[in-house]
Amino acid sequence: MRRERTEGMKLRPLHLPPHEVRVLDNGLTLHVVKRSSLPLVAVRLVVRAGSAFDLPGERGVADFASRLLRRGAAGKSADEISEAVDLVGAALGGYANEENVVVSLSTPSRHLEAMLGILGQIVREPDFPEQEVELARRRTLAQLANELDDPGTLADRALSRAVWGHHPYAFESSGGKADVERLTRAQLVAFHRERFGPKVAHLFVVGDVDVEGVTEVIQRTLGGWAGGPPFAPEVPAWSGLEKPGEVVIVDKPEQTQVQLRIGAKGVRRGHPDHFPLVVMNAVLGGGFTSRLVTEIRVKRGLSYGAGSAFDMLSAGGSFTVSSFTRTESINTLIDVALTEVERMRAKGPSAKELATVQRYICGLYPGRLETNEAVAGAIADVVHYGLPQDWIASYRERISEVTVRQAAEAAQKYLFTGDRVLALVGNAEALKPLVSRYGPITVLRPTDLE
Amino acid sequence: MPRRASSVAVRTKAPPFPILPALQPIAESVIEAKLPNGLTVRLLPSHEVPTCSFYTFFRVGSRNERPGITGISHLFEHMMFNGAKKYGPGQFDRVLESNGGTSNAYTSTDLTVYYEDFMAEALETVIDLESDRMKSLQVTPKMLESERQVVMEERRLRVDNEIVGMVDEELSTLLWKAHPYRWPVIGWMKDIENIRREDCLEYFRTYYAPNNAIIYVSGDFEPNEALKLLKKHYGTIKPGPPPARVVDSEPEQKGERRAEVRHPAQAPMLMIAWRGPASTHPDTLTLDVLQYALSVGQSSRLTKSLVFEQELAVGVSVDWTWRLDPGAFTVMLELKPGAEPLRTEAALYAELEKVAKEGLTPRELEKAKNNLSAHLLRELATNNGRAHALGTYELMLGHWREGLALVSRYEAITAEQVRAAAARYLSAERRAVVTLVPSNGAQA
Repeated sequence: MRRERTEGMKLRPLHLPPHEVRVLDNGLTLHVVKRSSLPLVAVRLVVRAGSAFDLPGERGVADFASRLLRRGAAGKSADEISEAVDLVGAALGGYANEENVVVSLSTPSRHLEAMLGILGQIVREPDFPEQEVELARRRTLAQLANELDDPGTLADRALSRAVWGHHPYAFESSGGKADVERLTRAQLVAFHRERFGPKVAHLFVVGDVDVEGVTEVIQRTLGGWAGGPPFAPEVPAWSGLEKPGEVVIVDKPEQTQVQLRIGAKGVRRGHPDHFPLVVMNAVLGGGFTSRLVTEIRVKRGLSYGAGSAFDMLSAGGSFTVSSFTRTESINTLIDVALTEVERMRAKGPSAKELATVQRYICGLYPGRLETNEAVAGAIADVVHYGLPQDWIASYRERISEVTVRQAAEAAQKYLFTGDRVLALVGNAEALKPLVSRYGPITVLRPTDLE
Repeated sequence: MPRRASSVAVRTKAPPFPILPALQPIAESVIEAKLPNGLTVRLLPSHEVPTCSFYTFFRVGSRNERPGITGISHLFEHMMFNGAKKYGPGQFDRVLESNGGTSNAYTSTDLTVYYEDFMAEALETVIDLESDRMKSLQVTPKMLESERQVVMEERRLRVDNEIVGMVDEELSTLLWKAHPYRWPVIGWMKDIENIRREDCLEYFRTYYAPNNAIIYVSGDFEPNEALKLLKKHYGTIKPGPPPARVVDSEPEQKGERRAEVRHPAQAPMLMIAWRGPASTHPDTLTLDVLQYALSVGQSSRLTKSLVFEQELAVGVSVDWTWRLDPGAFTVMLELKPGAEPLRTEAALYAELEKVAKEGLTPRELEKAKNNLSAHLLRELATNNGRAHALGTYELMLGHWREGLALVSRYEAITAEQVRAAAARYLSAERRAVVTLVPSNGAQA
């Protein structure tokens, strides 16, 4: 039964519906994909104005402004907008990630026109009413405080700071407590006027639509949108870890479990070694049969979860191993994780492992394009990261072409040796003597990550 | 009507509520069958995406447990991935992944549910894998010990080091005195430590028999071929005795119940619950409408009032999960650091009393129904979502058609029915309240 080699894959074709692209006179690029199994539509506006472009004195401004777009626009109050959206069973919201502001709308198709009308208003003419700004500030500050109770969030943040150092990717898109306290309404208005505009935006509409009809509606609702920069800004370059070898402990004395992250430099999105890296990482820490899960969970019962990931952004990327265990097992967990990364770096995956993950990734790929939202997100990524036009259509072929040698070379080239940082969340007094052997320790309080 | 797939296909009556035209194609695609050993099968072929989802629902969850072995349903769910006769330890996921598939499972108070998403070509392999473990699961002492450690770590993650989990566990013990819903699905730590191999084997014989399971397959496959494969692989598995009935001995609640959890935290939190009806009771759908009117969307009653107008909460969510026995209608309120929980509680009760006296406005009723209907549609947009949703409808509402007809059933619910349900279920003397009290100021 157990074959040594998986036979060549015959991939059934993906039925990708036609993707129509049109640039409006104001510079907004419109992408429409018609799919009509259910009467639903997903709309995604992506503006290159994410938090990486926030100035140090106004960190968090992109996210704060984006979340406020629907809280008053074109003279309509937040309540009026919410009433209209909720009445038809739609969902509408804005936020910023590192590189983009995303405004997303999901609606039953028969209400698309009305909802695009509202989308147009909140994008073109947000009012940022003073009382809504203050309300959002109070609420955001409370949410930021409450996030400090989640050990996983603290671990991710501590790692992000340790990996990215002073690069803008180091900071949460929301900004921290001090940032949110000092943002002003004038900064929000300026953000909208100067950084948020059609020339750096793409609008994706996917679902049960009539292509001509929806284009006409968008022309009407967003064709008059003006302002913003003429060109997309560039994220500053990143020079790598500032303090390789550092061990950061976030002290939560009450914890009986330690959250662990090990991080290092990875690659930017669209890197030529993308496919060998994805395949190699799937063997190391992707699915349920990955080496990390096998060694940490299945063989040793050390944790409920373990994995590794390459996070790839425009200006660079990181590689992270994540897991958690009870305090007394932390050394075993770290040692097993480091050993597995090193073993992969030294020898690469076996032919059998490679064939398994290739089938795994390819088999599941079509399922990643099942909903309108997922299709909009996948196309948006291709546009945003400047990926080849056939990225989605040929994804499975590219995955299945990766050779054992390419995957081994990728492991050799990109997996960490000494250049990595550790972040732990748990009882610092108990952890310090256990983890001092991995590098110089810095202890933080949760509020240091506020 | 369902297409007849075999001589054992079951005919069903059309429900009194019609199915939305957009959902008719799904309803018409369903093929029903029952094998002689009692295994129920539902096939939902569609050819949009070259993948399939395979769901196995077992009618067993923490409500079928007893003190001393709490958590066995969930521990057992983990054991199902640790080897059977044909596919030994570690083989299940390995074979599945190398065939372009992935798998997961969950345990609730009422059900244990397994699923695989995979490339369409792998259907027979998946049937072989799933039927192998239903037929001949092996529970070795070594695998049991290792999995026990994993589950204890899962408990540390989700409950012992997680505030919402901690408070939720306290709430269940407060709301239920007699019914098994009082203990957590993951089980008490000591019980997880002490569950024996014999307990697992008995559990398997009783609850993992084909007559206690329903299979849903959705996606790109040929139904006759699939049914043939299902019969071939499952047909020889012997039925088990009918599992013991769960007795709901829960006494009537005669007054508010309150508890505190003291733990380091930035801010207090409130979780408040009332016992509602069982999933098949008509009031269940009325409470769905109420749940949405209270908490879904920025203009919903509690969100607007408590979060935006009075600023007494940072966030509010309402959970009303259908259960086989009367379940919990739960309101969770995230507060600001330094907030006074009693004030927020009072404001919440004032809003609920208003609903119990005056009901919802016509607009609120319409909004809730439209959001329920939009969510229902979104759930049905994927192979996995369709199999899961229809299976859940069948188990919780009695028939999958009841689920596809939900839109028109919600449509028929009146403002007066919602008012009456709020008055009946959400009263002061029926509630249980847990307050998270931040201890030692947790580095304020």
